[in-house]
Amino acid sequence: MSTAPSQLAIEVDTVGASPGGGAPTPARRVISTLRRSPAVVLSVAYIVAVVLLAALAPVLASITGWGPYTYDPEAINADLGGIPIGPLGGISAEHWFGVEPQNGRDIFARIAQGAQVSLLIAVSATLVTTVVGVVLGMVAGFYGGWADQVISRVMDFLMAFPALIFMIALLSALPAGNRPALLVIVLSIFGWPYVARVIRGQTMSLKNREFVEAARASGAGNWRIVSREVLPNLRGTIIVLATLAVPGYIGTEAGLSFLGVGVMPPTPSWGQMIASAVGWYTVDPMFFLIPGTFLFLTVLSFTVFGDHLQKALDAGDAA
Amino acid sequence: MKKRYAVLGIALTAALALTGCTAGGSTAQNGNGVSGEPVKGGTLHVLQNADFSHLDPTMGFDGGVNNMYRLIYRTLTTQSTGEGAEGTEMVPDLATDLGTPNADATEWTFTLKDDIFFEDGSPITSADVKFGVERAFDPALAIGSPYARILLAGADDYQGPYISGDMPAIQTPDDKTIVFSLSKPFADFASAVGQNVFVPFPADGDVTATSVDQQPIASGPYRVESYQRGSELVLVRNEHWDPKTDEVRKAYPDSFVWTFGLDSSTVDERMIAGQGDDKDAIAGSVQAASIPRIQTDEIKERTISGIQGCTTYLGLNTTKEVMSDPLVRQAISYAVDKVSVQSGTGGTLLADVANTMLPPTVAGQTEFNLYQSDDDKGDPEKAKSLLTEAGYPDGIEFTMDIRNQPKMQAQAEAVQQSLAKAGITVNFNLIDTSTYYEVIGTTTQQNDAAITGWCPDWATGATFLPPLFEGSQIYEKGNSNIAQLNDPGVNSRITEINAMTDVDEANKAWGALDEQILELAPAVPLLFEKTVMVVGSNIAGAYSHAGFSGGIDYVSVGLASVPE
Repeated sequence: MSTAPSQLAIEVDTVGASPGGGAPTPARRVISTLRRSPAVVLSVAYIVAVVLLAALAPVLASITGWGPYTYDPEAINADLGGIPIGPLGGISAEHWFGVEPQNGRDIFARIAQGAQVSLLIAVSATLVTTVVGVVLGMVAGFYGGWADQVISRVMDFLMAFPALIFMIALLSALPAGNRPALLVIVLSIFGWPYVARVIRGQTMSLKNREFVEAARASGAGNWRIVSREVLPNLRGTIIVLATLAVPGYIGTEAGLSFLGVGVMPPTPSWGQMIASAVGWYTVDPMFFLIPGTFLFLTVLSFTVFGDHLQKALDAGDAA
Repeated sequence: MKKRYAVLGIALTAALALTGCTAGGSTAQNGNGVSGEPVKGGTLHVLQNADFSHLDPTMGFDGGVNNMYRLIYRTLTTQSTGEGAEGTEMVPDLATDLGTPNADATEWTFTLKDDIFFEDGSPITSADVKFGVERAFDPALAIGSPYARILLAGADDYQGPYISGDMPAIQTPDDKTIVFSLSKPFADFASAVGQNVFVPFPADGDVTATSVDQQPIASGPYRVESYQRGSELVLVRNEHWDPKTDEVRKAYPDSFVWTFGLDSSTVDERMIAGQGDDKDAIAGSVQAASIPRIQTDEIKERTISGIQGCTTYLGLNTTKEVMSDPLVRQAISYAVDKVSVQSGTGGTLLADVANTMLPPTVAGQTEFNLYQSDDDKGDPEKAKSLLTEAGYPDGIEFTMDIRNQPKMQAQAEAVQQSLAKAGITVNFNLIDTSTYYEVIGTTTQQNDAAITGWCPDWATGATFLPPLFEGSQIYEKGNSNIAQLNDPGVNSRITEINAMTDVDEANKAWGALDEQILELAPAVPLLFEKTVMVVGSNIAGAYSHAGFSGGIDYVSVGLASVPE
């Protein structure tokens, strides 16, 4: 589970290298391009399904009658190490995805609750890193000089850091507190430079473009140029960066939870479920497969969608 | 004082196994299988997750390493062999008998056997025993069994032979006689001298504070041939050990080879497959996830199980406001669903539900259950009414220290879930496994509750109840009385029992004190955990020894057949 931000950085470099400006691409054309790709349609459908699953977790739990924390001693065989009773990890009409060994908690309810936790953390971290990254990137790129020096050195410093190791150390050392919030903070600290670096590069090329010169000549102040001329031209890049950041953070959060420094038990998280399933893979493979599949498909869907979005936007630029 | 769970964790994953016996019951063995008579010779392999803590017996102190020490070292007395209570009985080892006390049991005299030698052929004298005990006082080595330091007179100012020189509390009138002066009467000193701080080392040799840990000097049937920390330990026969002087150690194999650093699931896979050298191998308890896989007839025949002789319990910090009311603690005792804690630990094969603090392997343990519920599944209604009586009609909330380790987490979650039914909210304070005991043993850092475990240092209540519940044993650091119980009735009863000169009478009194303590509910006994071990198909004489956390008794195990 490498931190996806580093891969992200590479892809993002190509974005940064592409001609930055151009008029904002009409959203309608991008959408129609995307709709022609079955991969995108499937990805989006899956993402929507997971978001619904997460949002409706409490409702679904009340429909099935099994919450994410409810033990079901009837569903496990305490004489056999607590293995789920029945085939495929105890999949039944009552437990749609089976139950966890040793305690009989409903995997469907925990997957839904876990989706909520994972998406909340990943989306929050993406929002924070995008806002911080865009603001600092534009400041560095637009003003240059000492502001650029300071921000760029901080970014170099953070990007040169062995982020995963530091996150593990930091999360182990910090008091328990509000784990999801801590995770968002830690992910954001190491995540924003990957956004800021791209934004800085694009801002630097945009600020010398003719339309910016024209605006300046017509007496526009810095704030107006930044908000009316530069930012709108960064919109496509920001959307792509954010879309591609989400799967990175989902993966990283799962990785940290897998390593035992993520969300606190008994709050479920996909990474944590995978970690606890490792020992059971021979006798109860479904326990491992279900959260693994959800994690894999979620990351894949966001990545596919982000890639295609980037292509569609680039095509718009080229047109 | 230790021997709690962490230690045990290491000992167990690592090492071995089990015991049989009383409540734990034993599964499978039959006739000529693992319980048959071994033959002499061959090499016995042990697959282990973690290395032993120390080869120096004054430093190592947990069930796994104590078991291994019996192969290399001898003490004045030692535990017997056999399943259950038979194995935890003390018998003479280097000494001819269990010692002779003076009238008030403050002075104990032991006589050494003839024909006992170190691995270099030099005879073991009383001066060597004295030197071995003195070493245990060295500040650098004083991390092992504490009993020499607790019991001997003048222990407070003595810092070992390298700093303080001679210890007046140990006298050696001649080469065969050794006399210990104690700081207070102690009727069960014969058990204390079976601790590994009573291992002899050559007094006139070149033994330094650190040399033993590098190069042990054997007095038992095996000596260390090679040792690579973290990967391999090889023991071969000590030719100078005379079996006629030793009624305990059978010493069947010609050599023992430990392989360390194996992942627990790798160990399980290898033991289940049982191919090649693994036919001659033993290992520690299997993981819960492997339990369903060892249910075939072939594997059942080579599976042994037994209880560890330890108690897993939920300690309630009585100094915290919410826990200071006995009614609240009793409510928690009623509400805990011990069956779900058992399932989280691995089910009925890996744990029995506990209702007493003293495990069944302890002499004098009495069966009782003060907080009954249907099938031990907890009684949230009773708990709610007790909470209402205590002035908490809306329930309570408290913080539990837990360890970042799957089994411990599963136990904590099971407790959390069952208490939730009684309106009790449990928050977790997740602590790294390596610092867990430090945190819960520091009175200023521990929270309202913690799940931990305790194993007796020998099988009586004397090494169990006082460290956990005696008011005078609350220490700022390294505290094991995590309930911080300081109850005058309990304290005075402990003093009375300690002064008893009849060991049997004292043991019964400990059993009764157990009930007296649990009426105050400073702790909720949860489980008597068990070990389930799969051994190789060529193993014989394997049984779980209750005195070594349920590990396979090394001095009795051997191979069923040895190729020519």
